[in-house]
Amino acid sequence: MARAATTSDVFNAVADLHRRQILDALITGEKSVGTLVGDLAMAQPQVSKHLRVLSEVGLVRSRPEGRYRLYRLSPEKLRPLHAWVGKYEQAINDRLDRIDDYLHHLQRQGNGSDT
Amino acid sequence: MTPDRHGSAVITFPSDLEVVITRQFDAPIALVFDVLTRPEHVRHWGATPPDEMTECLIDLRVGGSYRSSFVTGDGTVFAFHGTYLEVEPPNRTVQTWHFNCWPDVEAVETMELHEADAVTTFTWSLAFADQAGRDHMTKFDGRQDSLDAIENTLRSLLNPKPA
Repeated sequence: MARAATTSDVFNAVADLHRRQILDALITGEKSVGTLVGDLAMAQPQVSKHLRVLSEVGLVRSRPEGRYRLYRLSPEKLRPLHAWVGKYEQAINDRLDRIDDYLHHLQRQGNGSDT
Repeated sequence: MTPDRHGSAVITFPSDLEVVITRQFDAPIALVFDVLTRPEHVRHWGATPPDEMTECLIDLRVGGSYRSSFVTGDGTVFAFHGTYLEVEPPNRTVQTWHFNCWPDVEAVETMELHEADAVTTFTWSLAFADQAGRDHMTKFDGRQDSLDAIENTLRSLLNPKPA
């Protein structure tokens, strides 16, 4: 898949774990910087910096609300995000890895297939 | 020492109507089958943190039903239910699959286990009744609900078994 220049590259924008966490946090609705700081255990300057990058590539939009600014997802820009499938694959693996860990746990205990 | 198999799941889309996931476990087939089909085991691994598994009912016999529910941090409920069509411990179960977020989708879920050389291979497949069903899995059309679609795809695949 062809990629745009870095400054407008959605893939680049979501390559950063913290920016993905911000996008994930915005799935449930628009939020202020302060709310994101509280949700994500990230410092406010860091959240603001990442929001600026996400805004520049069009993944996030904002509007003023009283004394605050609220940020929301701009999902029409997600078309190129088949890379997001990587997350989907990771999530499937996480679940199966939990089964794996649990099986190891049971076998170490040696009481596996009883009730 | 057994190998570290973390992250080794293989996900394929063998047809327009099907998604298949395979994964190997270093455990005997009977134990893997129990872990996948007994509620007291499923509750240990079923939910993806921070989600919580709030319901896990499994009546493992042909004609029996299963039901599982999950609640996310923001209170969203994801629920799955269906009826067992085939039950062949420890090798195979086949069941209908309904997901509350996709009420229009008809699907059949198949879980198969094979053991060789002390390694059990788990194959999970979901076969949709029509293309519209599988499009839920793969179609990110860039419109207003793209993120929802991705998230729902995640949720659905995260609960792949008769949990």
